[in-house]
Amino acid sequence: MAVNQLELVFPFDQGFSELLASFKNNFSVNFQAETVNYRVFYDTFDWLLYNNGSALEAHEEGPSRRIYWRADKDGDLKIQLGLRQVPQLASDLAECEFRRQLKSVISVRELLPRIKIKIKRLPLVVLDKNKKVVVRLSFDEHWYFPSKTRAGVVLGKRITIKPVKGYEDEHNQVVEFFRSLQLHEARDNMQKLALAESGISTTEYTTKLNLLLEAEIPAEQALKQVLLRLLDIMQQNSAGSIRGRDTEFMHDYRVSIRKTRSALTQINKVLPRDIISKYNKFFSGLGKLTNPVRDLDVFQIKLESYQRGLSKTAQERLQPLRDYLAQSRAEAQKEFVNTLKSAEYRQRIKEWREYLENPEPTDPPLEDTRKEIYKLADELIWNMYQLALEEGSAITDDTEAEALHELRKTCKKLRYLMEFFQSLYPANKISELIQALKGLQDNLGEYNDLYVHGGILEIFIKQSSDTDAKKACKQMIKLIERRQTKTRRRFAERFASFSSAGIQQEFKDLFVESQKERL
Amino acid sequence: MKVIAIYNIKGGVGKTATAVNLSYLASLDGANTLIWDLDPQGAASYYFRIKAKVKGGAQKLVEGKQGLEDAIKGTDYENLDLLPADFSYRDMDFYVELTKKPEMHLNKLLKPLSGEYDYVFLDCPPSISTASESVFDAADVLLVPTIPTTLSLRTYKQIKKFFKQEHYDSMKILPFFAMVDMRKQMHRLIVEYPPSFMPGVLDSYIPYASEVERMGINRAPLGHFSAHSRAAICYKSMWDEIKSHLYPTA
Repeated sequence: MAVNQLELVFPFDQGFSELLASFKNNFSVNFQAETVNYRVFYDTFDWLLYNNGSALEAHEEGPSRRIYWRADKDGDLKIQLGLRQVPQLASDLAECEFRRQLKSVISVRELLPRIKIKIKRLPLVVLDKNKKVVVRLSFDEHWYFPSKTRAGVVLGKRITIKPVKGYEDEHNQVVEFFRSLQLHEARDNMQKLALAESGISTTEYTTKLNLLLEAEIPAEQALKQVLLRLLDIMQQNSAGSIRGRDTEFMHDYRVSIRKTRSALTQINKVLPRDIISKYNKFFSGLGKLTNPVRDLDVFQIKLESYQRGLSKTAQERLQPLRDYLAQSRAEAQKEFVNTLKSAEYRQRIKEWREYLENPEPTDPPLEDTRKEIYKLADELIWNMYQLALEEGSAITDDTEAEALHELRKTCKKLRYLMEFFQSLYPANKISELIQALKGLQDNLGEYNDLYVHGGILEIFIKQSSDTDAKKACKQMIKLIERRQTKTRRRFAERFASFSSAGIQQEFKDLFVESQKERL
Repeated sequence: MKVIAIYNIKGGVGKTATAVNLSYLASLDGANTLIWDLDPQGAASYYFRIKAKVKGGAQKLVEGKQGLEDAIKGTDYENLDLLPADFSYRDMDFYVELTKKPEMHLNKLLKPLSGEYDYVFLDCPPSISTASESVFDAADVLLVPTIPTTLSLRTYKQIKKFFKQEHYDSMKILPFFAMVDMRKQMHRLIVEYPPSFMPGVLDSYIPYASEVERMGINRAPLGHFSAHSRAAICYKSMWDEIKSHLYPTA
């Protein structure tokens, strides 16, 4: 219903009573019962909508719930959607323009209620001589409660004038009355005001480590900072991973675990051996629990593109596979959730944080405990790069897939080390080398995904009794194998670029020569 | 946009009360709702305190010279608008017949409103004509209030027969019992054991109640002045049932 309602700003520090009395002298009005309404802004965990200038909000007025959408800051005024509920994911919606716009901003991320504004509303209506409602007004106080423990704050006061269709003259008279009082038209800035009160930063969340390590600090101090930041990311993503619909939470959670394990095993002469052994085992167990969930998530995301290569009939026959994937994912997720909700898990995480936050140096120190971090970083990165070169150079067209898998792991270790210690090096130089490495990693990652996905299909074929679905899956395996061959063919070119004389020299300049210069 | 027609060949079976109360309930859900008072008697317009008058009358509306939008009036309730009746609607058939595809004309007229409204309720006059056929075509659901008496059941059979003859989708027809007086044995029997030709009859039924008649005195939907009365509760449960028909997976 295209209602061009007018919203006016009422002075923050004044009450409505005087104005209401004056209004009543000029119009025949009927006061209605005061109501409490809510305006809930939905966004992703990392504020993708807000940062894009988009807004998705639900207006809750008694039993009524209306949902509005603004595509971006340059977009039209917000439009009302014909939805009853805010979707959790863009993929929950049927194909439509809103789904397309939403997906382009939030991708696979989950929508959560992020800002809730309480509106104390005094509604009234203007009546004509037949007692028919001809204009609707409301006098509103917008409240925001930053948390359960903090007192609420008034964000602003507003007077809203809503026309009733077919009664434009009466509406104009009411607008004229308020205009004569010099009240200004309001901008829709309640979400912004609430965010300012909340202290939330909409740009704060990132999975980047963003550490500023000092080059000369002892390795132990630096490593603890890295591990602590990884623990923060892990904990920021654990609630979302438990909910399980937004696959990015699990992805970020899992990557922070892998990085933690990589730090513990690669930088292994800094922390006491018993600590390394205890937590490596703990995080390894957690990582294994995330494997099937993530593999199935990635497979389900890629399934759309895989099945495009099949005939329409074959695609339709894949329903048993989709059911199998959903069920397998649910089972794997259940096991993961049980662990994360366990007292043992919580205790371990608590102890890990306490350990990392304890500034006491390890005594007696290990070989690298007190080494200046830049020296250790140089050594570790250079050695890992050498290993990657060695493993990569040994790969020919006939080499077993296992060797590519090993190289993929080595590249990951190298990437993590470079990210941990990124702040010790000139930003442009290390970023360039990370980019060179990323090109190779993308190729190896794609090859590995295809291998894993072929495996998932093989398992399904073994378990399923549905002949049609099995046949369609066998066709899909053939398509996957073809893609694997293509990916494999591209490997040589990617590796050649990564191991070029130029890149090798840049690695050397950054991780070997620069140390000499410092000395 | 879902189009819900409240229709019966018979008069006095509670069509207008149903259209008024259900459209009000839809608007309470937050859905943008329009009720079109197609009956020249203008009872629905009266209930909403809106004059039964449309500038240019049926001719201009049907010919499309005046878009429906321009004739719409806001009711006293948020999210609920009304397209008033006009006495000239008695000639609606004549003007519809003159259009290119008479049976599909109503659908054409409603199309421009599809972005604006979630529901359109059509309060139909008691007749069977070309204009009614246009309603059958446009409606997603045809609600047929039926008094549990022999004559009313006979009328219902006639509607079903007509749908079959003219190849309209009979799945659209949702009959329900209205003005039910359980003190009467025939009413009780029919409601408890609906005849086999009414397989889709709604579980909810509307009792014969003085509260419904009071809508004329209050000039308001039941939910507004007597939300806890039995009849209001029955309309509410009927609305929930209709929604489950419209959105089977919701």
